[in-house]
Amino acid sequence: MAGILFLLSSELIQAQEDPGRYLDLIEKKYSDVKDYMADVNVHFDIEALKAPDMQAKLYYRAPDKMKVESKRIFFFPKEGGYFNPSLFKKKDFDVRFLERLIYDGRKAVRLKLTPTDTETSNKVYVLTIDTERNLIREIKISPSEGREIKAAVEYGMFNHFELPTHIDLQLDIPSDEPSGMKEFTQFGQKTKRITGKVEITYSNYKVNVGLTDEIFKDAEPHRLK
Amino acid sequence: MKLFWLETYKTFSRWRTYISFGFIALIVIMTEVVMKLSADEILYRMMRSFQKDFLIFGNVLNGWFITAFIMNSLHIHIPFFITLVAGDIVSSEATAGTMRLLLIRPPSRSKIITAKYLTTLFYTTGLVIFLALICITLGLLLFGHGDLMMNYQSKLRIVFIPEAEVPLRMLLAFTAAVWSMTVVASLAFLFSTLAENSIGPIIGTMAVVIVFLVLGNFPFDFFRMLSPYLFTTYMIFWQRFLDDPIPWQEIARSALILGLHNIGLFSIAFVVFTRKDIKS
Repeated sequence: MAGILFLLSSELIQAQEDPGRYLDLIEKKYSDVKDYMADVNVHFDIEALKAPDMQAKLYYRAPDKMKVESKRIFFFPKEGGYFNPSLFKKKDFDVRFLERLIYDGRKAVRLKLTPTDTETSNKVYVLTIDTERNLIREIKISPSEGREIKAAVEYGMFNHFELPTHIDLQLDIPSDEPSGMKEFTQFGQKTKRITGKVEITYSNYKVNVGLTDEIFKDAEPHRLK
Repeated sequence: MKLFWLETYKTFSRWRTYISFGFIALIVIMTEVVMKLSADEILYRMMRSFQKDFLIFGNVLNGWFITAFIMNSLHIHIPFFITLVAGDIVSSEATAGTMRLLLIRPPSRSKIITAKYLTTLFYTTGLVIFLALICITLGLLLFGHGDLMMNYQSKLRIVFIPEAEVPLRMLLAFTAAVWSMTVVASLAFLFSTLAENSIGPIIGTMAVVIVFLVLGNFPFDFFRMLSPYLFTTYMIFWQRFLDDPIPWQEIARSALILGLHNIGLFSIAFVVFTRKDIKS
């Protein structure tokens, strides 16, 4: 009886609490991060992409400006690859509480975020948030096109801010095959998928250095139609 | 050696020999200019598997990439240019009526046929080196340099080669391309010893190359079983030098098979020529 009452009360508490507050706390924690720059190293462990480690310098300015500077060719994951504290704003998502859990020995919650404006984005995020330190530890992205991306984030302290030092990205995405090949592979063969791991390591953070518009002027990567 | 230089002089004093060089230069210049103008489309085609999930920075469409791209497109067409000379080198003597005159002179038949074969190989090597030089020089001038991204669309795989490694890899790839093309040259040379005119060997060689390429690329089990027996399957082994890791065993096997083809084809040509009846 007591057990049932406890379960009911915890369900009640979860129903009553606003899961969006966890996003508010993260936003508040990083509200003082106006910009940052860091060295980034990307290590690929993907069968479909045979590449040595790639290095670049990443620049970020709130709320959404990002630039990668590299003298050589540089592949960078579009999703989950860099830290943007403004990405998960409560007002942009319908937030649902999924569960409480212990993550890396700390109290955590798992939330499901569905974009309120489905016309601009149809990606559904599942975040695991360390509620003791207000850090996003895991991001799972499952949009409708059969792609699944999971990012596990580790943090370090830089200029009094906890910023990612290591992002472990797991990809399972369908490949966009040339149309001719699709015709040949349709007989009983499944569409090939690009699967594997991308490890992104950040170092030499410089936070709030006053990055100007000039830096983000030529921020566009190769524009692919 | 003297005979070889004499044959080489004869070959390179014909205007027909330069058709291939001219057309290769024209094709490469046109391709590179068009590629310069439609860089976005090429990048899109190349990177479509990755574009949804990755941002791509840097000079992807550089001179090295253009060279690999053109090599990929031209390895089917280069054989035609090779046959223009290789298919003509022996049969032209018959067509011109100089065969008897040639064979009654002091050098033995074996020396004559070997000199002609070496000239064919010299021309083939020259043609591929010319392609390499014009592709790389123009490519680097128009598109700059950078790391090489090889896109193996059939395997849905992208291989990234750091720029420091690219020149050596290209040297090896072009050496392999020369080796591949010598088989086409040997085949055309054999047909040339069998024929009395040049058209037959040229068309015959191209027919064999095209039929073998088509059969070897059909995505059906029967043709897949057949492909190890077609020399054209091994002709693209130059691409393996632009792979990661370099499959040395596969390269050695392909080079050996192509080499055996060369020996076999030349041996038949040698026997045919040395037993040629010039009295009738």
